[in-house]
Amino acid sequence: MTEQPLTEKALTEKAWELLAGLDPVSTKYPARARLGGEGIVILRTKSGFRGVQRSCPHMQGTMMNAELTANDTMVRCPLHVFTFRLSDGKGVNCPGFRLKIYEVKEENGALYGRSVS
Amino acid sequence: MNAATDPFVLTGAHVIDSQQGIDRVADVHVAEGKIAFVGGREAAPGTKIIDVSGHYLSAGWVDIHVHAYGTLGFANPDTVGVYQGVTSFIDAGGPGIGVLDQFMELLGELETSLYAGAFIRPMGLLGLNFIEGNVRTLGEVPITKWLDFAQQHRDMLRYIKCNAIGDYGPGTLKLTKGLAEILGLPLYMHIGEFQMQNPEHLLAPEAFRIAEAGDMITHLYHGNRGQVIDNGGKVLPVVRDAERRGVIFDLGFGGYNFSWDVAEKAFAQDLVPHTISSDLQQFNVVRPVKSLANVMSAMIRLGMTVKDVVDRVTCAPAKAVHLEDRAGSLKPGLPADITVFRVDRGEHEISDCYTKVRRADQRIIPLITFKNGKRFDADLSMAQEESNWFLQFAEDHVPSAASHFSERQRNFLAALAAALSTMRWELASAERLDIDKALELQDTFHQVRARHGLALKDALRAVYGSFLDQSFTMQIGLLLLRLEQPFVIARLRDVSGQRPMAA
Repeated sequence: MTEQPLTEKALTEKAWELLAGLDPVSTKYPARARLGGEGIVILRTKSGFRGVQRSCPHMQGTMMNAELTANDTMVRCPLHVFTFRLSDGKGVNCPGFRLKIYEVKEENGALYGRSVS
Repeated sequence: MNAATDPFVLTGAHVIDSQQGIDRVADVHVAEGKIAFVGGREAAPGTKIIDVSGHYLSAGWVDIHVHAYGTLGFANPDTVGVYQGVTSFIDAGGPGIGVLDQFMELLGELETSLYAGAFIRPMGLLGLNFIEGNVRTLGEVPITKWLDFAQQHRDMLRYIKCNAIGDYGPGTLKLTKGLAEILGLPLYMHIGEFQMQNPEHLLAPEAFRIAEAGDMITHLYHGNRGQVIDNGGKVLPVVRDAERRGVIFDLGFGGYNFSWDVAEKAFAQDLVPHTISSDLQQFNVVRPVKSLANVMSAMIRLGMTVKDVVDRVTCAPAKAVHLEDRAGSLKPGLPADITVFRVDRGEHEISDCYTKVRRADQRIIPLITFKNGKRFDADLSMAQEESNWFLQFAEDHVPSAASHFSERQRNFLAALAAALSTMRWELASAERLDIDKALELQDTFHQVRARHGLALKDALRAVYGSFLDQSFTMQIGLLLLRLEQPFVIARLRDVSGQRPMAA
């Protein structure tokens, strides 16, 4: 038998990367960080950390001022209350708008992230 | 209506009614839901006296630019109406000719008097700013339907609205002006490019050229492209020409449409709005608009007097939209639409739609509203409740309203599911919306409804109640385009199979 073909998941799954510019112990959240070359905002929710793109796709309001809502399953830009699901970034009250979402995990005192496909 | 019939007298307030030249402490007598007398007359024995000493009192406020219906509307539009001192308001573009029937069915039972500032596009405002200015979304302008509707529901229509935005030339404005002329209504134009749009040729100057006496232009002090001032801050000659011709300038504060910088520069050159409106909608009620009262406070901060702002939310808008026979004054015989308010002293901040904040020392707070003599205690917090403005589809559960559907409603939903199962559609996006598909979906809704002999209101409530926990209203075609087709079919089948709850 030759080696098993790679599953689609294995081919498409993104690698975890260390988040730059963050100290998980002393940092206050929301917090700015960098993932690869991209600036993102890290939120601390009831179920752990989550990353989002730095500005709202509507009018570029900073997500540093975003509000967690719906038991921390959604995030809301305060400028015009555009609200997005933290699971996949889909706009809830703003059809067609989508926020980039990043999974974030803590390992050995450091935070790692990867984008949610 | 809920007209209060017991007479009462409001005593001790500072009454402002420029229509009657009143600007002093006076009593207001109300009987059978109408204004009986303003002055110092003795009340008949046994008449209820309501002491409002120390407060101001005016005719009920008229907000000629709100979004009560459709993609921008509220679950309970009265929260920005009688509960905020507003006794009459106009939906600025929510419905077009293709959905005015839906609009009328669903909003006919409000306490606040609601009128339509109908949009040139058949579906009304789409709520997707990026494509709102695309001339292809304009659709047809069915003159016969417009004339028939205007003949049957003349009272409902107050102006015809279009947006002076996008890079498609002034044709839309001229079409809308033509329709307004055919119907004998004022033209109402939005100026100011939506965010992140950058057309080569601005339409705002065209709007000022096309508008005639009695036509209205809203968002006077917006800070987007297409302003009323040039780069040096000077009011444009084309704006002055329009002002001289008798064009009415409306404030339309909104979520994107008020800039302290523009307002202060224009106001310093005596470019002042004739009417003060809020542009309240789902996306700006939390901030920065909050209420018409907050917008009035902003105008006081700009330099207007209390009387200036009261005139611009009473007699001026009533005249602009031809409601003088029922609103805007306390003349004896008019409906007892009254707003009691106070002016708080003390420093507070008022934000514009951008990043600028001004400290102000006077704040208007509505206290009591009377609509046809019926009393409502003002409560500014009601409009701010999330359930009033956060339109969220019930994706993971069936709304409780569905358990109360009638047999006929459930049969209708089953038939609608069957009809929609043969259709395909793509979700509306920020960049693309298939307006023809929205109209097609809506036609299917109406055909199925007609086959089942179901009243429009019952059919609308059945669809809304299948997907929404709160009583938001929306163009059916646009609602369906927001949902995946398989989800719609599954939910309608699910709901139509439910048994009604035992009585």
